[in-house]
Amino acid sequence: MSELTAASKQPASLSKATSTGNSGEGLAFERISHTYVAANGSTPVLNDVTFSVEPGQVACVVGPSGCGKSTLLSLAAGLMRPTSGVTHWKGKPIEPGTNPDLGMAFQQPGLFPWMTVRQNVAVGLTTRGASRSDARRQADEMLTTVGLTGFGDAYPSQLSGGMAQRVGIARALALRPKLLLMDEPFASVDAFTRLKLQAEFKALLKLDRPTVLFVTHDVSEAILLGDIIVVMSARPASVDRIIPIEREDRDRAGRGYASKMTEALRALGVETDLSHD
Amino acid sequence: MIGRLAVSRVALALIGLVIVIAVWQWTIAHYGLARIVLPAPLEVGHTLLGLIGSPPFWRDVAVSLREFLLGYAIGGVLGVLVGILIGERPLVRMTIGPVIEALRFIVPFAWIPLTVLWFGTSLTGKVVLVAYAVFFVMVVTTSRSIATVDPTLTRVGTMLGMRPAEIALKVHLRAAAPGIASGAKAGAALGWIAVVAAEYIGASAGLGVMITNASMSLATATVIAGMIVIGIIGALASWLIGIATRIWLNY
Repeated sequence: MSELTAASKQPASLSKATSTGNSGEGLAFERISHTYVAANGSTPVLNDVTFSVEPGQVACVVGPSGCGKSTLLSLAAGLMRPTSGVTHWKGKPIEPGTNPDLGMAFQQPGLFPWMTVRQNVAVGLTTRGASRSDARRQADEMLTTVGLTGFGDAYPSQLSGGMAQRVGIARALALRPKLLLMDEPFASVDAFTRLKLQAEFKALLKLDRPTVLFVTHDVSEAILLGDIIVVMSARPASVDRIIPIEREDRDRAGRGYASKMTEALRALGVETDLSHD
Repeated sequence: MIGRLAVSRVALALIGLVIVIAVWQWTIAHYGLARIVLPAPLEVGHTLLGLIGSPPFWRDVAVSLREFLLGYAIGGVLGVLVGILIGERPLVRMTIGPVIEALRFIVPFAWIPLTVLWFGTSLTGKVVLVAYAVFFVMVVTTSRSIATVDPTLTRVGTMLGMRPAEIALKVHLRAAAPGIASGAKAGAALGWIAVVAAEYIGASAGLGVMITNASMSLATATVIAGMIVIGIIGALASWLIGIATRIWLNY
């Protein structure tokens, strides 16, 4: 029943989202289709994707593997152009090139192994024009914020996977991004570290309240972190549904959590009740 | 602990050396070899000490080292530059990649007759040969190291606001440094071998010339002493590059 009501909300939230996207505040995907062309044929990955993320909102994108979630991030990051459709940020079309509002964290930490932890966090700030001393100070502040005080002089090879991922997130957040893109940043750490990082990340978002597009394949992560969950269909992917998440849904022991979980998993084609086996 | 480890490493190396000398001495005794065919280790040791005290020997060493260092620098710099272009630009890779693949199998020694013809016994011929040997090693290791840089690092560079040229130099080239350093070590070995080989065939000075002259006057002890010097200089060069790599790439 809860499924039905949520599903019936979908068109309303979609149209509302699209209209705010056009008026130009947050991030908006408008009728995006994308096809990868290679020598051995072409692969359509996105088919008429439309949704938007309001300023300060966290949108978690879930979907089957290979459905083009990462393509969405690359489009939002301006790393490439869609085959058709427009991506807007603050009302302007996103063009390939550098977006000064952008911060991004990746599935792998992607730290420069020849730089210390502090230099890794500071390098984006100096590239964007900050003085060395300013960048250094801000990097140290951000390292303290993510719980890595005293690790500034360490090299990435000396860090655990979870710590390295924290540095990658600190590097993105140190840029004070207005648009934060996250590509399954917690997928490669162990389950317990992931729970810790999720809680920390949630707290960090309160600092600057960036607009966030967070790709994950973990529905519980999406419920915990997202204001909306964008469920994608299989490739070529379109938006299957948008599930709004309320504050009380984030109580893992609560009924809201269970019903959102069920709704998302069923949309993904996953059997949710194995009790009759 | 580290001290004991170092001591035992030196001891093991010495044992290896003793085994070689023992086999050498035994071979002479067992086959009753003449001095001209294979002089005893002790005689070669004496000759080596004599060489170390003689200025003409050091002039030969200086000539060989000069040819090597000049060729190594020229071939190394050009090789890294071309390697960057091939690693970064698919168009360049497709244009000159096949030519390089074909040329790198024509070993430096195959070029010796031509370099003698073109440059005579001058320094230039040796420098060209060393540069040629080092160039291909550096092109291949540099372009491969750049092509295999973690693609996430490229995306990170873009995300941080770096321009394509900055990504090429500050991310790709820097990330490729360990691979390039191992190429530099292999290139040094090949370059040093090329110098000596070229001097054996056509030169007016250098360690190779010293050895061929000694061989023609049947001074076999000098031949072997010269060979030992070649080995020691090669090992030293390799060791120095290894140390520089460890200091510079200490992460």
